[in-house]
Amino acid sequence: MELQVQLLMNTLQIGSVYVLFALGLTLIFGVMKIVNFAHGTFFTAAALVVTSVMMWSVDTIGMPIWFSYLIAFVMALLVVCVIGFVVYFFGFKYVLKDLNGSFILSIGLLLLLNGTYLILYGGVPRSIPAVIPGNITILGASLTIQRLVLMIVAAIITLGLYILVHRTKLGLSLRAVAEDQEAAMLQGIPYRRVALYGFLIGATLAACAGALMATVTPVTTVIGDDFLVKAFIIIIIGGLGSVLGAILGGLLIALIESFGGYYFDPSTATLAMFVLVVILLIVRPQGILGHAEK
Amino acid sequence: MSMKKIIGITGGALLALFSAQTAIADETLKVGISAPMSGAAAAWGLGFEYAAEQAVAKINAEGGIKAGGKTYMLELHAYDNKYNAAEGAKTAQTMLNRENINFIVGSIGTAPVKATQALSERKGALLFNTGWGKSIKGPKYPLTFTQMNTPFEILAPFYGYIKEQHPDAKTVAMITPNDATGQELEPVAIDTWGNLDVEVISKDKYERGTTEFQSIATKIATSNADIVDFGASPPTDVGSMLKALDVLGWNGIKVVPAGTSAGTLSKMAGAAAEGTYLGASADFTGESASEIQRELNAGAMEKLGEALNGITISSYDAVMALKKAIETADSIEPKKIAETLPTIIFESSYGPAAFGGAEVYGNPQQILVPVMITQLRDGKAVEVGRIAPAELKKRLK
Amino acid sequence: MLKSNPGLALCILIAIGAICFALFSGDPYYVQVVIWVFANAALAVTLRFVLLIGELNIATAAFFGIGAYTTAVASTILGWPFFISLLAAPVIAGVISSLFGWITLRTKGPYFLLISFAFTEIVRLIYTKTEALGGNSGMIGMFPPMELDAYFPAIAISILAAILFGLYAAERSNLGRVFKAIKNNEDIPRSVGLNVIGLKILCLVIASTAVGLVGGVHAYTNSVIAPADFTYFVAVLALAYVKIGGEGHIVGPIIGATILTLAGQFLHSFGPYENIFYGAIIIGALLLVPGGIVGLGVRFKAGTLMGRAGR
Repeated sequence: MELQVQLLMNTLQIGSVYVLFALGLTLIFGVMKIVNFAHGTFFTAAALVVTSVMMWSVDTIGMPIWFSYLIAFVMALLVVCVIGFVVYFFGFKYVLKDLNGSFILSIGLLLLLNGTYLILYGGVPRSIPAVIPGNITILGASLTIQRLVLMIVAAIITLGLYILVHRTKLGLSLRAVAEDQEAAMLQGIPYRRVALYGFLIGATLAACAGALMATVTPVTTVIGDDFLVKAFIIIIIGGLGSVLGAILGGLLIALIESFGGYYFDPSTATLAMFVLVVILLIVRPQGILGHAEK
Repeated sequence: MSMKKIIGITGGALLALFSAQTAIADETLKVGISAPMSGAAAAWGLGFEYAAEQAVAKINAEGGIKAGGKTYMLELHAYDNKYNAAEGAKTAQTMLNRENINFIVGSIGTAPVKATQALSERKGALLFNTGWGKSIKGPKYPLTFTQMNTPFEILAPFYGYIKEQHPDAKTVAMITPNDATGQELEPVAIDTWGNLDVEVISKDKYERGTTEFQSIATKIATSNADIVDFGASPPTDVGSMLKALDVLGWNGIKVVPAGTSAGTLSKMAGAAAEGTYLGASADFTGESASEIQRELNAGAMEKLGEALNGITISSYDAVMALKKAIETADSIEPKKIAETLPTIIFESSYGPAAFGGAEVYGNPQQILVPVMITQLRDGKAVEVGRIAPAELKKRLK
Repeated sequence: MLKSNPGLALCILIAIGAICFALFSGDPYYVQVVIWVFANAALAVTLRFVLLIGELNIATAAFFGIGAYTTAVASTILGWPFFISLLAAPVIAGVISSLFGWITLRTKGPYFLLISFAFTEIVRLIYTKTEALGGNSGMIGMFPPMELDAYFPAIAISILAAILFGLYAAERSNLGRVFKAIKNNEDIPRSVGLNVIGLKILCLVIASTAVGLVGGVHAYTNSVIAPADFTYFVAVLALAYVKIGGEGHIVGPIIGATILTLAGQFLHSFGPYENIFYGAIIIGALLLVPGGIVGLGVRFKAGTLMGRAGR
């Protein structure tokens, strides 16, 4: 019993970050109809910025760790927003709704940005000191307080996004654009501006995930790539463009990783995810919660 | 030491002065490196290139290599093999057929090394490599030499030492990445533990690039193994796993045969990494390190931000072995050099070293340098055992 | 559209020239570069062939790998003769692709893109976990027989050139026109009674058979293959060749592959800068030269014919 609780807890720990990452990807797909292979670079950039800022503020200035992490978190989001803004204005703006064009653009960005990170940061992994040290036991399952806080923060952000999409005017425009862009434009929704907002929100979500992950895992210049592949699986399972689908898909993949990794072995669990995707697509091509292609 | 150096330098300068009149312009001897310089394993390639650069600079500063009445200056060409076979084949083509490099003084990654070997043996070029597979050596590949210790050298003394320290340990859980190195290491590790009466109770593999190790940690913690053997896992992954294990309250004997960087490990896992035994790490700052190793290590720390390890420093040793072999053979013919290499004793970064290992591989193609067992204490790698290969001891007598 | 006949004649001349170069040049490196150019061109052209029906097929990389592994198994484990090992590659790739297409071509657009991506990863993971295929170390020892060794580069180039011309002919045929019609609006071919799904599968199988053969040639050219050679990135690079050369005509990907392959040779020792360069060139080509080099040529021609300068 204790074991199952531990595995479930692992699922939530892993899943919370997957959800954040996949949400951004699915949102960008929804409003722009593009598959962004460069999404992982936002995640990586945020994690790297956190390590840089922490190194500077803790080691050089001597600020308290929790305070410098807050600064680092904000800085990470800002940097990613700037990167997102630049790549939108000088790139994605020109390939909206062009599946192949945007795919190749995002691949170009992936190469360019990952190469740049490697030159700036080198191949040595970095890690930051514990922001909130200590462990905690819940129903017999142990985890670090950091992980617990991470899960809670991720859940709050996810909830916030859900409210944003379903309860605000911006959310309504995002959904309208995702549903039918031409109809939305006829209703007077400025498509390009909404697409930009959607893209920036998506990038910020990846940045949140990256900045949170930096507290619990070593940061390398390719850290985002692993999440990218998983996130693709998640959004296919959940249905491209579906917010709820990304949340469920993220948790499902984390469940497979946690239980499959325990009862079989981790590399088999990875294979199982891909196989699941293919089977699901045969049965239900539009994903669990996706809309059928017209 | 310094007196010897001064004499050496003055001697070299005088020699250069005299020979300047007779010798025609110095010839250039190209040497190549094929290693990952981008992607997840970039740190290895960059450190490897650095160590080779230093060896080349040192040899050139001391007047180059003399053979057949000519003086050769070394020129290093480093290529990114991206850790895969296809790129390994491309870099091999570039080195061997375009640049006409006859001496590859270092290659990293089992798959790209094999791809390079397919061409280098056909072309008659010398190939130094860090490949951990047994299949890479043998009479079929007379021009291939391994420049660092592999599991066949490391595991027996390494595990033996651990069993000696912890005679009560009866069970071990293995976890290793699902890559070529991990797949080559696992069976050797299982055999070696078996010979020591330690039972392997679980063996798991994970994909390289994974960042979440919660499920593996849970599995190990619930298995209650006395020892965890992290196989070919790189230090970053081991750090993540140790951290997760610590949270779950597991505290047993931690063993990392491919543990290259103690610094990274302790940075990643902090106190959770204390006491970990490392097989391929080296304490290049400690007392047992040679002066050369200390110098190289300090330089790498400054330039790359990471200490050297058993893999990365091996390119230095290969260049030094090559120099000695060329001078002994008095030729730059790769085949002659390959015949000479097993007969010489050369000055490696560890001290005097040689090539041997005919008993294991059927051909003397394995560098003989000490296996250094280190343990992480207070965040630093401390050498707890240094086992020189018996074959080397015999040769040095 | 480029005028086909003089262009085709020129292409045939270039192919014959390349084969002669492989036969008579003594420089193994440059011969090797020519093989890479042809192999990359063939990869790009097969990727583009599925683009004719409007689908981006990342599984091009998977079928390339399946071809290479088939040849490797046939020649090193089964000990089959050279040409039979080589021919097994397209057969197996074709058979598997017909199954893959039958299952997946009911989806399209981003879904097909992502399934083909997932399939490529699955196939790669299966290699890494299969001990008989050498696991992650891959397979070694695919050498052409000794008596053919000297001619192998010429044989490889001939096969690859034949693939290029074959796919060109397929595109120019009625079948090719139907494929393009499916891309434009699949309801129209369906309304005249054509089996659209069947035709889509056929298109995928033709392309996969061709790329399987490229994989077979790859296995013999490199003598060593490993799972990491067949990641989705192979298809990504192929797409870059297509985009830079231009999607509008079959020579587009060939030009793109030629330029980037040659550029890659000079960038090889650039370490991390190599990726930055590739990234920059892909982004630049996409945004500044949207129709690729071929598109540029067409636009230039149109501009001069109509008496106004190209934009």
